[in-house]
Amino acid sequence: MSLAVEMKGVRKTFISGLVSRIKKEALRGVDFSVPEGVFWGILGPNGAGKTTMLSILANLLKPEEGLVRILGEDFRTRSMAILRRINFSSGHANFLWSLSVRENLEYFAMLYGLPGNRRKRKIEELLDLFELEEFAGVRFDELSTGTKQKLSLAKSLVNEPVLLFLDEPTVGLDPDVARRVRESVQRIHREKGVTILMSTHNMKEAEILCEKIAFLKEGIIKAFGSPRDLKEELRLGDTVTVFFRGSLSAPFLQRLQGVYNFEVSDSSCRILVDDHRKRLPQILDLFVSNKVLITDLRIQETDLEEVFIALAR
Amino acid sequence: MPLHDEIIKIKAFAFKNWIMTRRNFFTVLEILFWPVVGFLSVGLLAEFASFQPELKAFILVGVVSMGAVQVCQLDVSYALLYDVWSKSLKHSFIAPVGIRHMLLGSLAVGMIRGIVVFFILMGASLWLFDFNFMIAGAGPIALFMFGLFLNAAVVGMLVCILVLLFGNRAEVAAWSLVSLMLLVCGIYYPVTILPGWVVAVAKLIPLTYFLEYIRRFYGFEPSFSLVLAKGYSMVFAYLVIEIFLMKAALGRAKRKGILLKLSE
Repeated sequence: MSLAVEMKGVRKTFISGLVSRIKKEALRGVDFSVPEGVFWGILGPNGAGKTTMLSILANLLKPEEGLVRILGEDFRTRSMAILRRINFSSGHANFLWSLSVRENLEYFAMLYGLPGNRRKRKIEELLDLFELEEFAGVRFDELSTGTKQKLSLAKSLVNEPVLLFLDEPTVGLDPDVARRVRESVQRIHREKGVTILMSTHNMKEAEILCEKIAFLKEGIIKAFGSPRDLKEELRLGDTVTVFFRGSLSAPFLQRLQGVYNFEVSDSSCRILVDDHRKRLPQILDLFVSNKVLITDLRIQETDLEEVFIALAR
Repeated sequence: MPLHDEIIKIKAFAFKNWIMTRRNFFTVLEILFWPVVGFLSVGLLAEFASFQPELKAFILVGVVSMGAVQVCQLDVSYALLYDVWSKSLKHSFIAPVGIRHMLLGSLAVGMIRGIVVFFILMGASLWLFDFNFMIAGAGPIALFMFGLFLNAAVVGMLVCILVLLFGNRAEVAAWSLVSLMLLVCGIYYPVTILPGWVVAVAKLIPLTYFLEYIRRFYGFEPSFSLVLAKGYSMVFAYLVIEIFLMKAALGRAKRKGILLKLSE
């Protein structure tokens, strides 16, 4: 499978202050590759370097060191060819305030060189895709935050990109609008086959949308994998709480496979397992074979938020 | 790069400036209010001081030209400043466009606005102060105006370069650079009355030569030779240099993170 994004040893340092030069290392040697056709995420706490990473990939920032190849090409020699095939959308969307939704789309479609009829068709298609028809004539500064965000996503598709960078696309949106934006993003990936790399703070969003996640902290990728891989790697697992009647001796729980930890009290037992789907039948068998009556059972899946907290610590 | 693609991208910048101009009250002021106020003040002063017709012509040519240059220059600066003010700069620079598209598109709208200002003030000169600009003839006026607009493009590009180098702080240059030219290039007086070192600076500014060229038609002999050739060769050379400088400034803005800061 060919690579949409390839980063090797990418470093970026920001220097501020005229007299006392303050250095901030935003990226400290990032190696990262994204194959074509996937939807991957970049997670990390504030200041981890997520926006810096996406900005470098979108040619808005230049790294001091390292190799960046986009769709197999290098910005230093083929920037125009790359820019024609990628696009970018960020949270806190900002566009020309006096231009309407349609005019903003028209402006950006022209920047990508779309000729008259094709431009018109594309704009209508995007207005329809993002349910923006009723706002087509409304000036940007009169739009709600959610509609501005939809416009930002619509703009990012004017050139039919094969690679799309989304920088916190639902930040600041209310839950309902955020959900609809997520659905739109999912649809773009599914229907148009666009490779998407998205940064987000929202764990649920990453879990729902992203097949794999890179966890960025202090400018380096600390962990990478599917949400489940990350949970396994951190041995966070799922918690199975069994309420019982009778006596239960702790040692026989140790015989179970995939148990990270457990606590037993008089009437309940909390077992931390790698994957509750795999381990639950064994747990139940064990209780039944030891003639311990189960009165209640609760399962708590670890969500990505806990992974985030564990990694960010 | 196909020509059709190039034209569409140039049109994009013209489209942006055109709509922003139409929808913003302050840009209407730029066309009508400030140039007309400046023109009337100077024209009335000339009447009050009972200047001879040649002297009045000298000053009115200067003030009308200044109005046109200022308006056109602002449009070229606005190609970047509108994106900075709306914090959408990163979206424009992620698109596959070059500096030439930005320059030509914004200059086209600037020229339209500059021509409007020029003709309004030309009409007012005739009506209020009995000075007929057209005695120079359409050809020389067209050559003069085109030179003025290219000079305006040089100033507008310089503003864009400064904004990319120093961020928002530099946007004041959009209004102040032209005022500096007002002092140096002989808008209200011949450059020959200036101290030697200022004359040396004036010789580096194409507007000086374009003003000398047009004033010849109203009875003033130029202080320099080959004024039109010098003005045009200088203005084209500066534009080429500025395109390279702007590329370098853009590269620096990407290295320093200024491009992102201007979008926040």
